[in-house]
Amino acid sequence: MTFLVTWVASLLLIAAPFPAFMAIALPQWGLLFVVWWSLMRNYQLSITLLTFSSLPIDVLYGTALGMHAFIFALLAYVLTLLGPRVRQVNLVMQSVVVFFVLLVASAVSYWARTLTGLDPEFYILFTQTLASAIFWAPMRYLFERISNFTGEAGADSS
Amino acid sequence: MRPLFSRTSVAIVRFVIAVTFSVATMVVDVRFEALSFVRQALKTSLWPIEKLASAPQEFSRSFAQWLSFRVSLVGRLESLSLDNERLKTEQLKLQTLRAENAELRRLLSVKERFSEQLLQAEINRLSNDPFIHRATINRGFLASVKKGQPVLSADGLVGQVVAVYPHASEVLLVTDSTHQLPVQVTRTRDRAIAIGVGLLNRLELRNLPDTVDMVSGDLLETSGLGGRFQSGIPVARVIDVIRSPGQPFARVMAVPIAQLSRLSLVMVDVSTEGSR
Repeated sequence: MTFLVTWVASLLLIAAPFPAFMAIALPQWGLLFVVWWSLMRNYQLSITLLTFSSLPIDVLYGTALGMHAFIFALLAYVLTLLGPRVRQVNLVMQSVVVFFVLLVASAVSYWARTLTGLDPEFYILFTQTLASAIFWAPMRYLFERISNFTGEAGADSS
Repeated sequence: MRPLFSRTSVAIVRFVIAVTFSVATMVVDVRFEALSFVRQALKTSLWPIEKLASAPQEFSRSFAQWLSFRVSLVGRLESLSLDNERLKTEQLKLQTLRAENAELRRLLSVKERFSEQLLQAEINRLSNDPFIHRATINRGFLASVKKGQPVLSADGLVGQVVAVYPHASEVLLVTDSTHQLPVQVTRTRDRAIAIGVGLLNRLELRNLPDTVDMVSGDLLETSGLGGRFQSGIPVARVIDVIRSPGQPFARVMAVPIAQLSRLSLVMVDVSTEGSR
């Protein structure tokens, strides 16, 4: 239930219309969704579910089907390995870790987009990554609230 | 649910399977375009999400309209009346020109073009991905929209339909970095290819001879080559011609005539057959 609600919340944020000039600083909501699940609830997450939940995100962004599945798998793998250490540090340090992990994911995304015929500017991926790191704390809070509301709060939620 | 990546060996196996699946999906989608039915089904099922996500914006727009007071409305009405009178006069001139044009074409034994059937549509959303310039409009194949049909605004060309769903379609804007458009300069009839560079206010003409007769302010229109668009649709205005010493080619920068970042209403030319 928590997965469904957080996934729908992420889709709503992705589909929400924002002015075109804001596009360079929009957080990568889909990636933040995976970061939260991989860091905070990795014991409840299934890679199959994660892969299939990424397909609507591709449709909303207009990217090639499977591109977000690729990045999600990479993020989930890296963050599941880092998870125990990252959970122990404070929110600011977590945001820093999220920034660097998402930067790597953005580099992979840049490469995948180039392969699919797009011509992305890396600095935009950088600014989006920075915005995502800044939004990590509010996003984490929102997802924890959803988790508490649905009655599936994890052992480490506070 | 089962734990994710519980043991390292299992983690690597799952990771490899997920990566293989996603790469295969990407290849099948991009190279063979064989997943359009999946995209269509997903897009249709995402319709409630998109409506819900755009609800605050629609509500604020309606509220702002409701708040518009009478004075501004009267002023606007007067201005529109003047515009209407001017357009009526221009319409009369246009009718005369159209008749003259038809006569000249008949004289030249040129086949008359089919009259355009324009379908009005509203832009529901632009992709939030800054590298993908796609817009979703509220008309789909139930309104006779087909893949490949041109999409216009009151000012000029906006793009073309690239995916069609029952009640919506996706329009690839001319500024998308994967879009290339045959154009000609209205003044000199020189032909070129206008390439999107991923910026909403920029098109580029590359690999033109250094001696090309193009100056800032020239109007670019569709040339009709390729058969996708009719010729003569305004596309962009040249703002800069870069001639670097020692370089064999000139680069031309242009600004799309249609205000792509501010569009809300567009027209789909449904008289065009579209593509496979």
